Formats: sequence, structure tokens, C-alpha cells
Amino acid sequence: MDGVLLSKLKNLIKKTVESSSTADHGASGEECKTMLDALNKVTACYRHLVIALGSTSDSQNLREELKKTRKKAQELAVANRNKLTELLKDKTTSKDDRAEYERLWVLFTSSMELLEVDMKRSLEIGQEFPLKVPTRHLIQTGMTGSTTTVAARAMSVQNMKYDADSNIDTADLKELQTEITQVGQMMEEMEMKVQVAPWAVEAKQEAGAELKSTLSVGNSSVGVISICEEDARSCPGDENCCVCIPNGTDSPYSPLL
Amino acid sequence: MTIRNVRDHGQRFRPRMACLKKVESVMLEMQDPKTGVKSQPQRLVSTTIPHAITGEDIVAWLTNCYSIGAEEAWALGTMLVAFGYIYPLQDHKRLVIKPDASLYRFQTPYFWPAQQWPVEDTDYAIYLAKRNIRKRGVLALYEQVQYNSLHKWMNHKWDFIVMQAKEQYRAGKERKKPDRVVFDCQERAYWVVHRPPPGTVSAMDYGLERMVDPNTEEKQTSDFFRRIMIFTQQSIMRPRVKSSVSIGALVKYSVTYNKHDPFLAPCLPSNPWVTDDVTYWFLNMANVGIPTKMRVERWTFSFGELLSDPRGRDDFRLFLKKEFSGENLAFWEACEDLKWGTAATMNDKAQQVYKTFLTRGAPRWINIDGKTMEVTVKGLKHPHRYVLDAAQTHIFMLMKKDSFGRYLKSPVFKDTQKRAICPDQHMFSVPQLEANARKRRPSISPIIVRQLEQEERARMATSGPVDITQVMSKLSNKGKEVPPSKK
Repeated sequence: MDGVLLSKLKNLIKKTVESSSTADHGASGEECKTMLDALNKVTACYRHLVIALGSTSDSQNLREELKKTRKKAQELAVANRNKLTELLKDKTTSKDDRAEYERLWVLFTSSMELLEVDMKRSLEIGQEFPLKVPTRHLIQTGMTGSTTTVAARAMSVQNMKYDADSNIDTADLKELQTEITQVGQMMEEMEMKVQVAPWAVEAKQEAGAELKSTLSVGNSSVGVISICEEDARSCPGDENCCVCIPNGTDSPYSPLL
Repeated sequence: MTIRNVRDHGQRFRPRMACLKKVESVMLEMQDPKTGVKSQPQRLVSTTIPHAITGEDIVAWLTNCYSIGAEEAWALGTMLVAFGYIYPLQDHKRLVIKPDASLYRFQTPYFWPAQQWPVEDTDYAIYLAKRNIRKRGVLALYEQVQYNSLHKWMNHKWDFIVMQAKEQYRAGKERKKPDRVVFDCQERAYWVVHRPPPGTVSAMDYGLERMVDPNTEEKQTSDFFRRIMIFTQQSIMRPRVKSSVSIGALVKYSVTYNKHDPFLAPCLPSNPWVTDDVTYWFLNMANVGIPTKMRVERWTFSFGELLSDPRGRDDFRLFLKKEFSGENLAFWEACEDLKWGTAATMNDKAQQVYKTFLTRGAPRWINIDGKTMEVTVKGLKHPHRYVLDAAQTHIFMLMKKDSFGRYLKSPVFKDTQKRAICPDQHMFSVPQLEANARKRRPSISPIIVRQLEQEERARMATSGPVDITQVMSKLSNKGKEVPPSKK
């Protein structure tokens, strides 16, 4: 890990030591949630980026976006892990608090699993579709736009800056391989050290919880575009025939944090 | 966290999917701007999306590239769609290639079916949650069922699923409109292939997963050689049969069963796996009153066939009851019960069998030769599952040589044969087939079936088998006085 990361880590640890020394578990619980939300966001964005790999929206920029998002995800992962391990190792937490930390732990490990799979897949697809070859055959998927906005969301910046070398598509793959092994090792370590039974955790959200609070996000169906070429009439009376996308203007990004 | 007893380092090998690598190279060739498939833009209401290809172009390209006939190209194209490498833009639930102007599009490499990436239920749950958001709670019926079941057994991860679904949904909105439409199509197509809605046939039904790569070369250790030696020794010791005899047996089998094989001859009224209509299974249930003609014909092939079909066995039992020789079949069934029953009940069952069938003066005494009787009684001192095997075989051969022939000539059988039905073949039109697919429901739970069977057996046991000693005494009294007719 480089110096910047180490110092960040040291600050974080100092903060958590201070907060736990005042036995204020409520605040550290909130901190945890914030960090987990950030990790969750980066994982979601990383998945969107990996889906664009190998297709016609693949480019130098995409590879760089992937690299930056990945590094950010790893930073967040390490920070989350340290925080949560420390909270879970503390024997003086109340039962309710402990249940809450175990729930957060399950959130964390699920995120990490998704991240690990996506990293492995991005390695595989990255190897199959190098950019700097004379006849490159990117799959014509119909996606042609860029993914800078998604990456900007992941990095929590307004605009992305691109400063990578032109051989990033091959050079980055080696780094990616080492990072994948690191993540794998980290997850094995976590399994060994922390005794949490994931199946014992009860979710707070009930079925259909995703419908609440997203109704405000995304303007509603003022005009829908259907991807069926023909009229709805010629489709066999099946409501799932058309995929309707709300046609409103892009809603202002309402941050969860 | 998912249980990670098996570290999945791409170890789940699904041998039938070995063709996927080859399909990927076909995909790459199709992308070539000069020699690949020609693409055209797809015009929607408010946007234009490039890279749409027509079915006829795909089929024509395959025909040219591989110098094959049109029908084979059509089959190959359908395979590409069924695997999910190409997805249809209209009629997205039918994974076939229509060699006309219907539009298709290539799937992004992330969503390609890859041999070593199993399809995760977590991802499916996230997808359903996202769909729930977009459809504002109105999911299709089969999706709703899946959603509920996933919510039940993945409950500990549900917070994560909701969080991730919301985040992915928001991140997706960051892209431009045409890309959003394409992404939604891609994701939907991926899940149509891997979690097919009712009525969709996808190519992903690959059977059991294997933990070992069947294509790796096995390391030649001493263990390996020992196994080969044992195998060859056993092969040498095996009794051999002249090939004319064994081939003759195969030919006879094929000729006899030709019309009864559902792959080679259409089964009446229709094959449920093809038409989704379950009449065939209803007509051939174990306790049906009137069997079908094909079923009755099968009983005449061999005694084993008759006994293994529960309806046939019932018929045979009825015949034996009229002949007062039901104890043979009862003994045979008791032996089967012992063989297949639980270990805890074995001792009791063996004793019961001895008391009822084998001991001198038993109520249902069976007629086996002295040697077999000796062996059996000796074995019963330390009963195990197969202790009655010798006696069972003897009785089986007895029934086969004697009763079976008489059964086939008996009025019982002739009556059953006459009353057997021959249903007409179904002629379903395409909309009727789709309606059938929608009406598919799971059949009766096997637990209930087993309960019914047990009740049936209990009922038969209480109705009482014919007690031979009483019958004999009645018969011996017959000569002395006229018994009052009780019936």
C-alpha cells in the first residue's frame, strides 16, 4: 500500500480509537454505515463499468475508469474491514449493537464478494479484448456512449480526469491480477478471524422495500419510450413485451450520504 | 456471506458447455467490419440505436461462412440465441432465430454464458429488485414467485440486495438514454436465458455440475495403475456371451419396445414434455381404473414388466385371488418390502415373513423346495436385507413359468385388455401450446402420494389376505355338509 493510503488508514484508526474510547458506539455505527454506503455505491458503479468492457463503448478511458474505481473500492474495503473487525472484536458491546454490527458485516462481505467476482471477470474480458491491436473486434452491442458519468459518480467527483499511458489495457492487467489475489487473501483472513454466522442475521428491509424512497428518484412516466418497434397492439397482449424507460429529464442526484 | 466450503476457482465444470469457447470465436468473427454481419440502426420513438442485425442476415452469414445448408444455419443461429450470445429485440421470450427481418443484437461479453462463472442467485435477486423499482411493484407472475422465494431463503442478505439494487439503478441513470435502453435489453435478455419464463426453452439446462474437470489428464500414480489392474482383472473374469446371442437380444429388445419409446414413436395423447399437457401422466397413473392399450401391451412382454407396473401387479393380484394362489405374490411383495425398507424395521419384517409364509402350518404357506427353505431359515437367524433373495427368486420363477402364462389367457386379463382405452392424439395449435405453457402447475407433492400409498396398503392389509388354513378346512367340510351361503 502506498504512503497516502497508509496515512489515511492511520487517521481512520486514530479516529476510531478515540471514538471507541469514549464508548460511543452509536457514532461508530453511523460511521460504519456511511463507509458501507460508499463501498456499495462504488461496487454498483464498478459493475456498470465492467458490463461495458469488450463492447463498442470500450476505450482507453474505460480501462482507466475501471482502474481508478477499483483502487477506490479497495481503499474503502480496507477501511471498512478494519473498522468492522475492531467493532466486532470488542467484547463490551451490547447484544443489540452486536446484532447490528453483524448485519453490517454481512453487508460488507456481500459487497466484497460482488467486487471480487467483477474484478475476476474484468481480468478475463480485459485479456480477451485488448485495445491496441491492428484488427480489434469489439462486440457491436449498440452501446456507444461513454461511461465517464458513472465513473465520476463512483469517485464522487464532478468530472473525471484521464492521465493514463496508452498501454493501460495490458499494463493494468498485471496489477489487476495481484489485486485479485490480495482481495482473495483478505476475504479468507476475514473468514478466519471474525466469527459471524451470516445466516443468523435478520434483514431490516422487508420485501418490496426498494420501492420506497426511489419513487422520488427519477421523474415519472411523462412519456415512455418502448423498445418494441411495432405498436403495443401487435405484441401478444403481454405487458412484459415492452421495456419502458421513464423519459423525464435526469433527476438531480440525491445523495444517500 | 455465502458458504464457501468449495472455493470456486472455476472448478464447476459443465461438460456439455464445452462448445461455449467455440461460439465465442464465432462471435468475434461476426464483428468484422468487412466480412462480418451487416448491422443497421434500430429506430425507436425518440432515439436511434445502432448495431441491430436481422435474422436473415445472420442465417445468410452462417451459410456462407461455414458452407452449410440453410436449415443447418438456422439451427446454428437458434443455438446462438438460446445460449444468449445474440438476443432478439422483438418477442424477447422466444429464443429462436427467425430468418426474416426480425431484429437481433449482440450481447455484451459480461453477459456471455461462460463455463466457469455460475449464475448467482444474489445477482438475480438484485435484478428482480431493480425490475421491481422500474415496474413500480408490478412484476410478472413467475418473477413474483421467484422474488418471494428468494426473499425467503436469502433473507440474511436482503438488506444488501435492496441497497445494491437501488445503487445500480441510480448508477444506470448516469448513462445516456440510448445506452440505458440497450443496457436494460441486455440485462433482461441475460435473465431470460438463465431464468427462463414458463414456455421459454433455453440452452442452459445442462444437468448436474461436476466438481472435477473431465478434460484434465489424470496423474499416473500407483493408485491409478492399481485401479486399471483391478478393472482388467474383473473384465477377464466376466462371463462372456457370443456376440450373435447378445446382438440378437438387442435386436429383439429394440423391435419389441420400438413403439413404446417416446423418442421414436409419438406417445398418445401427447408428450407432456413437448406440449405441456399432462393428460398422458393422468392416464398412466399407478392407481388408474382403466389402463391404456399401450400399457397393457407392455405387460405381455415379460413377467418383470407386469410386476414392475403397479396397475399390472394389481391385475395379476386379482387373477391370483380368483385362483387362490395369492400367497406367492404376497411373499414376493414382502421380500421387496424387506429389501427396500428401513433398516430399523428389518428384523420385525423378517420375523413376520417367517411366521406368515415359511413356517410349517403358516397361514399363507408358500411352496419352495427343501434346499432353498433350509438356506432361508438358516439365514433368518441373522436377518439382513437380502436374506430372502433365494426364496424370492424361486417364487418369481414359479410365478413366471406357471401363473403368468395362465394369466395371459385368463378372463381377467382379456377383460382388462378389452376395456383398455386408446386416446386420440392431441392437435394443439401454437396459441394453444402457449396457453398450456402458461397453465403449467407443479404436480401433487410426493409426500402426499406416499401417504396415499401407505393408506392404500393399510386398507388392503385390514381387508385380510385369504387365510389358507381356513379355506382348507372349509373345503374339507364341504364334502360333509352344505355350508350356508354367506354372500
